[in-house]
Amino acid sequence: MSADTLHFVVGEEKKVRELLLDADVLPLLKGALAAGASCARVTGDDGEELWGACSPAGRGGLLRSLPLMLEGEPVAHLELFGAPEMRERLEPLASLLIVALDTVLRNSLKRVLTTEIHTSVVNSSHEELVAMNAELARSEARYRELAENLELRVKERTAELRRAQAHLLQQEKMAAVGQLAAGVAHEINNPLGFITSNLHTLQKYVARFCAMLQFYREHLELEQPRERLVTEAETKWRELKLPHVMADVGDLMAQSLAGAERVSRIVADLKGFSHVDESGESVVDLNQELERTLTLLSHQLAGRAEIVKELQPLPEVKCQGQLPGQIFLNLIQNALTHAGASPRITLSSCFDGERIRISIADNGPGIPAALRGQIFDPFFTTLPVGSGTGMGLAVVWEAVLKLQGTVAVADAPGGGADFIITIPAGRN
Amino acid sequence: MIEFDEKERRMVLKLVYYGPALSGKTTNLLQLHDLLTRQGRGELMVLDTSGDRTIYFDLLPFFLTAPSGLKIKVKVYTVPGQVCHDATRKAVLQRADGVVFVADSNRAEAGSNVASFDNLERNLSLVGLDIDSIPLVIQFNKRDLPAAVPEEEIRTTWDPTGIPVVLASALNGHGVAETFALVAGLVYDRIDARFALAAKHGLTRERFVAKLTSLKEEP
Ligand SMILES: Nc1nc2c(ncn2[C@@H]2O[C@H](COP(=O)(O)OP(=O)(O)OP(=O)(O)O)[C@@H](O)[C@H]2O)c(=O)[nH]1
Ligand SMILES: [Mg+2]
Repeated sequence: MSADTLHFVVGEEKKVRELLLDADVLPLLKGALAAGASCARVTGDDGEELWGACSPAGRGGLLRSLPLMLEGEPVAHLELFGAPEMRERLEPLASLLIVALDTVLRNSLKRVLTTEIHTSVVNSSHEELVAMNAELARSEARYRELAENLELRVKERTAELRRAQAHLLQQEKMAAVGQLAAGVAHEINNPLGFITSNLHTLQKYVARFCAMLQFYREHLELEQPRERLVTEAETKWRELKLPHVMADVGDLMAQSLAGAERVSRIVADLKGFSHVDESGESVVDLNQELERTLTLLSHQLAGRAEIVKELQPLPEVKCQGQLPGQIFLNLIQNALTHAGASPRITLSSCFDGERIRISIADNGPGIPAALRGQIFDPFFTTLPVGSGTGMGLAVVWEAVLKLQGTVAVADAPGGGADFIITIPAGRN
Repeated sequence: MIEFDEKERRMVLKLVYYGPALSGKTTNLLQLHDLLTRQGRGELMVLDTSGDRTIYFDLLPFFLTAPSGLKIKVKVYTVPGQVCHDATRKAVLQRADGVVFVADSNRAEAGSNVASFDNLERNLSLVGLDIDSIPLVIQFNKRDLPAAVPEEEIRTTWDPTGIPVVLASALNGHGVAETFALVAGLVYDRIDARFALAAKHGLTRERFVAKLTSLKEEP
C-alpha cells in the first residue's frame, strides 16, 4: 500500500474523549443537577475531569461513583456529589446515567468502527482500483504492441497470400493454355499425319518413277528396234503400276499442300491468339479475337457444341494483346464444362458508342443469385474438390480489370449463365 | 499486535475468526458472549449486517490486567466470509496475533473451505503475516449436521499439518470455548516468548487462558 493514503488498522484503541461529545454528556450531567445533585462529573482513569456540571452552591460530598466501561475496560467514572440526604434519590439516578452513557458510548464506538472500516475498505478498494488501472494501462500497452505486430503480421500474410494467388492465377493461365495446346496439337497432328503418310507413299512412287526412267535409259543404249522397246516399256509400265500411281500422285500432292496450309494457318492463329510476337500493347479487334479463340477450340467444339454468333462490328481496342484471348478462352471453356450434354454457346458483341459489350451465354443450369458475388473470387468452384482450381473466372476477372472493364453474370434467356463483359472503347 | 505501550503498560491483542461464508464465525462469537462470564468481557459488537450475513465484522473485546499492572485487551473479530468482502477481510486481518479458521463440516462446503483457506493464506501474506508461524486453530463446525464429513477424514487431512483441529457445533455451544482457549494459549506462547508475560508480568499461561475463558457459573 502506498504511504500517502489513509492508513488504519482495524482495532486501534479509541479514547473515551473521542467517542463522547459534550452534547452527549453535558445534558445528562445537567439533568442530574436538576434532579438534586450538587455536582455531576465524568473523570478519566487518571482522575482528571473530562466533563462536569456543578451548582454554584458548592460540590458537597461524593455520593456515588460508577465505572464507565469501554470494551470491557473501565475507562472513566461517573461521579455524583450532593448532600447526604440526597443519596437515596441520587443512587438510582447514577445507575440510570451510567446506562445512558454506556449506550451512547457503545453506539458511538459502533459508528466510529463502521466509518473506519468502511473508509479503509473504500480506500483499499480505491488503491486496488488504481493498481488495477495501472495494470490495465500496462496490458493495454502490451496489447497495442501486439496489435501493431498483428497488423504487420497480417500484412505479411496478405502479401504471402497475394503472391500465392498470383502464382495460382499464372498456373491457371498455363492450364488454360495447356488445354488449348492439347487441342491445337491434335489439330496439327491430323494434317501432319496424312502429310507424312502421303510423303511415304510419294517416296515409293518416286522409286517407281526412277525405276521406269532407269529402264528407258538402259534400253535406249541397246539400240533395239523401236517396236520392241515400246512393247517392253509398256510391260514395265504396267509392272510398276504407273497408271494408278500417276492418277494418285496429283491427289496426294494437293492433299499434302492443303494439310501444310492448315498447319501454317493454325500456327498463325496461335501466334495471333498469344500475341507472342508483340511486346506491350497492340490494337485488337475483339470480334477477331473471339473468332481466333473459337478456331483454336474448334477441335473441342466440333461436333460437340453448337456455336451461335451474333457479332456486330466493333471499334478497335488498345490493350495487351493476350488479354482478350484469356477472357474468351476461359469463359468458353467454362461454358463447355457447365453446359451439360449438348452445349449451345451464344456469342454476341455490340458497341453502344462508348462501351463494347460482349456476352457469352450458355444453356447450362445457370448461376444461382446467391453465388454471383463469389464466382469471381479466387478458389471458388462449384465443381467437386480436385477437378478445378477454381481460378478460371478469377483469371477472367483479372484480365477484364486490366482492360478497365467489368464482368458480371446474368441469367441467359431460357436459363443458363450469361457472362457479360463491358469494356470502355474511346472513339479516339 | 495492534499496540504495545511500555509506558502506558498496555497491550492490545487481536484474534480473528476466519472462514467461508456461513460457516458459523458469528455464531462462535455469539456463543462465547453467552457462555463466558461477564467479568472482563465487553459487549459483543455486531456491526451492520445484511440479513445475518456479516458485512464488516463482529467484535467481542476482553480486558484483563496482569499482576504487574499490565493491561491487556484482547479483541476477537470475525471477518465476513462472503467472497466479495475480501477488502474487509484484509483490513481486519492486519496485525492479527492469532487466527481461528472456522470450516464448515458440511460435505457440500468442502470446496468453499479450501477456497477460503487459500484466501486466508494469501491475505495473511499480503498483510505481512506468515501462516506457518501465526497461532492458528482450525475448527470444524456444524458437527451436528448429518452430512458432516467424518472425523477420520478430517484428521487424515489436517493432522499432518500440525495445525490443531477442534470439532464443534457452535449452534449448540459445543467446542466454542475449547477453540477459543486453544488459540488463546497459542497466542500466549508467542507473546510470552517476546514480552516475558510470566517472568516480567507474573501472568502465567493458565491464568491468561482462564481469565479469557472462565465460564459463567450455572445459575
Ligand atoms: N447446524 C448447524 N448450523 C450452524 C452451526 N453454527 C452456525 N450454524 C448456522 O449457520 C448459519 C450461518 O452462521 P453465521 O455464524 O452467521 O455464519 P458466518 O460464518 O458468520 O457467515 P458470514 O458472516 O456470512 O461470513 C446460521 O444459520 C447458523 O445458525 C452449527 O454448529 N450447526
Ligand atoms: Mg458472520
